[in-house]
Amino acid sequence: MTTPMLQLTGLKKSYAGKKALRGVDLEVRDNEIFALLGPTGAGKSSTLLASAGLIDLDEGKVHLGGDDVTDIEPSGRDVSIVFEGFNLLPVLDVYDNIAFALRSPAYREPEDEISKRVKRTAELLRIDHLLDRDVDTLSGGEKQRVAIARTLVRRPRMFLLDEPLSALDLKLREGLRAELRQIHREHRSTMLYATHDYHGAIAIADRIGIINDGRILQAGTIEEIYACPANAFVGRLIGSPSMAFFDAHIDEGQVVVRGFSQSFALSDFATPGTRNGKVLLGVWPEDIAMVDAGATQSNPGRIYAVDNRGYESAVQVETEAGSFRKVLEDKSHYRQGETCAFSISRGAAFLFDPESGGLISRGHGGEE
Amino acid sequence: MTKAQNDSVQKLTQWFLIALLAVYTFYNLGPIFWLIISSLKSRADLFAMPPVWFFEPDLSGYQQVFGVGAAAESASAFGVLDSLISSVVVSTVGTALAVILGTMGGYVCSRFNFTGKNDFLFFVLSTRMLPPVAVLVFYHLMFARLGLADTRTGLVLVAVFANVGLATWIMKGFFDGVPKEIEQIALVSGYTRLYAFFRLVLPMVKGGIAATAGFCFIFAWNEFAFASILTTTKAKTLPVKISAASGATGIEWTQICAAGVVLIIPVLVFFYLIRKHLLMGMTFGVLGRR
Repeated sequence: MTTPMLQLTGLKKSYAGKKALRGVDLEVRDNEIFALLGPTGAGKSSTLLASAGLIDLDEGKVHLGGDDVTDIEPSGRDVSIVFEGFNLLPVLDVYDNIAFALRSPAYREPEDEISKRVKRTAELLRIDHLLDRDVDTLSGGEKQRVAIARTLVRRPRMFLLDEPLSALDLKLREGLRAELRQIHREHRSTMLYATHDYHGAIAIADRIGIINDGRILQAGTIEEIYACPANAFVGRLIGSPSMAFFDAHIDEGQVVVRGFSQSFALSDFATPGTRNGKVLLGVWPEDIAMVDAGATQSNPGRIYAVDNRGYESAVQVETEAGSFRKVLEDKSHYRQGETCAFSISRGAAFLFDPESGGLISRGHGGEE
Repeated sequence: MTKAQNDSVQKLTQWFLIALLAVYTFYNLGPIFWLIISSLKSRADLFAMPPVWFFEPDLSGYQQVFGVGAAAESASAFGVLDSLISSVVVSTVGTALAVILGTMGGYVCSRFNFTGKNDFLFFVLSTRMLPPVAVLVFYHLMFARLGLADTRTGLVLVAVFANVGLATWIMKGFFDGVPKEIEQIALVSGYTRLYAFFRLVLPMVKGGIAATAGFCFIFAWNEFAFASILTTTKAKTLPVKISAASGATGIEWTQICAAGVVLIIPVLVFFYLIRKHLLMGMTFGVLGRR
């Protein structure tokens, strides 16, 4: 295998006693877009800042393109970054903001080359009409686009993007996402893209890393993660809607869920082990089918909420052991409060440890 | 209430506020106005009762203060020029040094963590806690030993000592308002921190520097306690000089008033010069996260 573009090993960082990174290990391959997906405060920003060299690590190593850059200054790392919050230099106008890095001692280019690159990048992000404006006269969306242009105008070893699109409205976000992919295709650049938005992550990324509480829980393609979520937390973060969880226990070779008429033979699970007691049963909503009441192997539930979206609808179903959300392909005939029935595909369920959230076992097959 | 009534109430409130502000303005500017016209009165007009409002301007007060014209050779003249120069030199040089040191200290305390940072900040502030009277004697002894007594250099040092703590604290506050991403952008873009400080951060705190300079200048200009003890003849500042203005014929009020006007003018000039930045400094909160 080729050397990864970015390799983080055992990153640890505390801010005033609070642990932000508890040993982050991560590899971003050359030419890929890697999305770092996690909730607020998971350590996404700290991971990016550490990669750029903007925070002093307590422990750990950062390698860029195979070189150990742990002790190299940010200006010597040849990375380009979009910050989550404040991104533009108020003392410079839009053009000079975008051209800023290309005039630095480290990455200097001739002025005519700068002019070409700034104009091209500005056109790509549709801000070419703003080039002579002061940055404080721009709207939020325009500022964000200038910030992305300031970053993309360079050809660094890698781009670090911290929630670059989160301040924008949906339409602009989708447009910019496409443009980021376009730039990525053109220049074969490597991007580490931090976001809390599942849709944004799967739309742009080649691979995804799930981060929580200062640790990477799992990294892989979205298919790999779907096939085998390493942790219940991953299930909660992935999918739309996310994974359904039911409190269950193992009793004489069967996984039993309170209130369910379906039960799941332990022999349907790979590496089930011999444990007894409580487990968490996780199922992707796609493996749950809404069925007519009274059908064999169906479990009772109650419609808690219906969300009609015109061409499709989403229902939230409550059961004794937990609730789940599911998207139905047609307009729902369900009414809020009424009872319903559903069944879970055989072999599609996952077992998680209810305490640690770790994956215990997964079903054979997945699809029926 | 009808609309007309509402309007008249609003108008009344407005007039009331204007009247209130007029009274307040008179309260503030009245004494200064009185000082200026008194400085232009002859001795006879000055003590006239009831006060005279219309009089022939008499510049003898100013002539005596500067020791020129008819008063050039007069014994009662107290050449104020030396003191004026002392005051200007001590205040401007002292302010400049205090602001430069305070800006550097404030930046370091805002951006870097180092052992004993909080103790350092407290220490810096504590230099302002003691009343001057409590330390005057020691300053006097120290300055005498160092040969700084009755020198402008000595007073400049006092002005720096007295103001650098305040300047550090104020400037730290302004730097705290500048997002740290400014330097991070510069560092990642291939610049040094020094470049970021001078070219990106300092322009953002121009207003803060002006406001800090304003504070320091007022303190230095009005400083009396140290100047009166540490100077005897050569380096007397204007406030000290004026306080000693009682000639052979008793207290020379015209002269004192004229000297008072001279004392006010440099402050006005200073604030006129920094007025644009000062307004920015006072509305700084707006600048921080735009």
